[in-house]
Amino acid sequence: MHELVTAAEPAADRAAAAPGAALTRDEAEALIYRECRLLDQLDLEEWLTLFTEDGLYWLPIADGEPEAAADAVSIVYDDATRRGERVFRTLHTPVLDQNPRSRTVHLAGNVEVAGRDERGDTRVLCSQIIAELRPGGQGQLGLNATRLFAARCEYRLRPVRDAWRISLKKVLLLDADQPLYNLTFVL
Amino acid sequence: MVAVPDRPLDAPLSDWAWSDLVWEDADTFRVHTDIYTSAAVFDAEMRAIFERGWVFVAHESQIPRPGDYRTATIGTQPVVVSRHEDGGIYVLLNRCRHRGTVVCRAEVGHSNYFRCPYHNWSYANNGDLVGVAMASGYPDDFDKGEWGLVRAPRVGSYRGLVFASLAPDGPTLDEHLAPITRYVDWWFERSPAGAITVLPTAHKYPYPGNWKWQAENGHDGYHGNYVHESWQRLLARAGEAPVAEIRKFRADGCTRGFRNGHGLLERPGGLNPAASWTGRMMAKYPEYGEALRSRHSDEEIEEISSRRNIFVFPNLYLFDTQLRVINPIAVDRTEVQLYVYALDGVPDALNRGRYRAHERFYGPSGFGSPDDVEIFVSNQTGVRARGVEWALLSRGMHREREGPDGEVIGHSTDEAPVRALYREWRRCMSS
Repeated sequence: MHELVTAAEPAADRAAAAPGAALTRDEAEALIYRECRLLDQLDLEEWLTLFTEDGLYWLPIADGEPEAAADAVSIVYDDATRRGERVFRTLHTPVLDQNPRSRTVHLAGNVEVAGRDERGDTRVLCSQIIAELRPGGQGQLGLNATRLFAARCEYRLRPVRDAWRISLKKVLLLDADQPLYNLTFVL
Repeated sequence: MVAVPDRPLDAPLSDWAWSDLVWEDADTFRVHTDIYTSAAVFDAEMRAIFERGWVFVAHESQIPRPGDYRTATIGTQPVVVSRHEDGGIYVLLNRCRHRGTVVCRAEVGHSNYFRCPYHNWSYANNGDLVGVAMASGYPDDFDKGEWGLVRAPRVGSYRGLVFASLAPDGPTLDEHLAPITRYVDWWFERSPAGAITVLPTAHKYPYPGNWKWQAENGHDGYHGNYVHESWQRLLARAGEAPVAEIRKFRADGCTRGFRNGHGLLERPGGLNPAASWTGRMMAKYPEYGEALRSRHSDEEIEEISSRRNIFVFPNLYLFDTQLRVINPIAVDRTEVQLYVYALDGVPDALNRGRYRAHERFYGPSGFGSPDDVEIFVSNQTGVRARGVEWALLSRGMHREREGPDGEVIGHSTDEAPVRALYREWRRCMSS
């Protein structure tokens, strides 16, 4: 994989992130693009720092509100502890389902800033196309094929100290209610 | 029962009767790996196992009201499971009697009628043909009573688990389930109401491999320390148990193989919160503990609190958080559904905790299931290598014993349940 050369983290997600400040679309895009890059580089420890302490990483099976999903079953419903476990297992345990690891390319677009939720967090909508491949030996079933995932995403962002942080990342896959093979990489 | 075919082990598939593909003598149990790769074997399985025996199709809580329906498959055949206004559940072949079109395309829904989209024949949700478009094209004595959707000849329910058989006769559902009824009952009794309610959304995963990999694995207590080493390390990191302690726990308990192909993996229970999940929940939620104690003796609670993965031959597992349904699609394609359920009559928070625990281990993004699926596809890839035609399922044959109900009891890591599965497989495939 190609390492992106970055002299410093982009500053855009830090601009004007004061309590009560309005989020610009540029700032939202900067944060989402940075997240895409961290995931594609498998920089998952850094990815964890993008979330607020009460942040939720959520892949629903059916569309809805995150609170209601507490009484349902989701594909992923990760609080901070669970996200930490997900990253730990991916990077530091002998997982079979990520050996070989997934390579990904995340593409985000259609970004819109869409008002605030009842907690005052700013809602950002976007679409994402995620390409994924696990490379392996010749003839190995389940490997060596690029898979495409499409999702409507919702982020909720909140200024924490001087930076925008994610209090919700919701990934509603096009095929969320369909049989899904190995989704053990972070979408 | 000893079945040793009198031909060389490397004889070509065409030389074998299907029933010879399970080969057992006093201390060796093998299955021919063509059972995972041969389309002809797969077709024979659909006829001999799925279309002759009892197959799980739904839980009653998934179609609670008259008019509710779900589509399902029996083997590879499409069916509709429908609750009629008479309260009865009908399992209907999803095939218009006119030209064969499916009359219901949705996964789940509510309707008193199924209308064929092709030429508008209409059926009541008990299968009766109630309307034929432009009926003057048929003679006046055309008997609609003979052209209803074909009903599965036998449908039965045990504690809300609905099974159907496409064979008009054969063992009854009670006879089929008899060897494991006691364990199924204990499994339900974790609910103080003795009942479950299936949630509307399910985890589903496909894999490019044979259905029996999943059937064999759910009560396999041998793979955990290796396939789920990652999971064990995660639990240790979370402070829930050191790996050594998890491994000791995993060695406790037993496996059981029953008549009719059923089997289970069992971990010991108990009222001590450290010993079992049920014990922990009874301590954490006193009202739950009281509800169980009001219905059961301590000895019964000990049985109820044993954690069991129960396989109901051929396509259902009862797990702690889910009904697991195995759907064979083709010899090398399978879909699995995990229907997570609420335990009825327990505190909401208890069920919520179960859902989070389920998401943590199971499903396409869980920390356990995908490791198992990785093995299934690795198996399917591996058995393409030939010249080694047999797989070995003998583990524990030298140390198993007979249990109180005639079942075979093995060490928790032994292959007693999978041998039970294949003895029934052989019986079905010979008849």
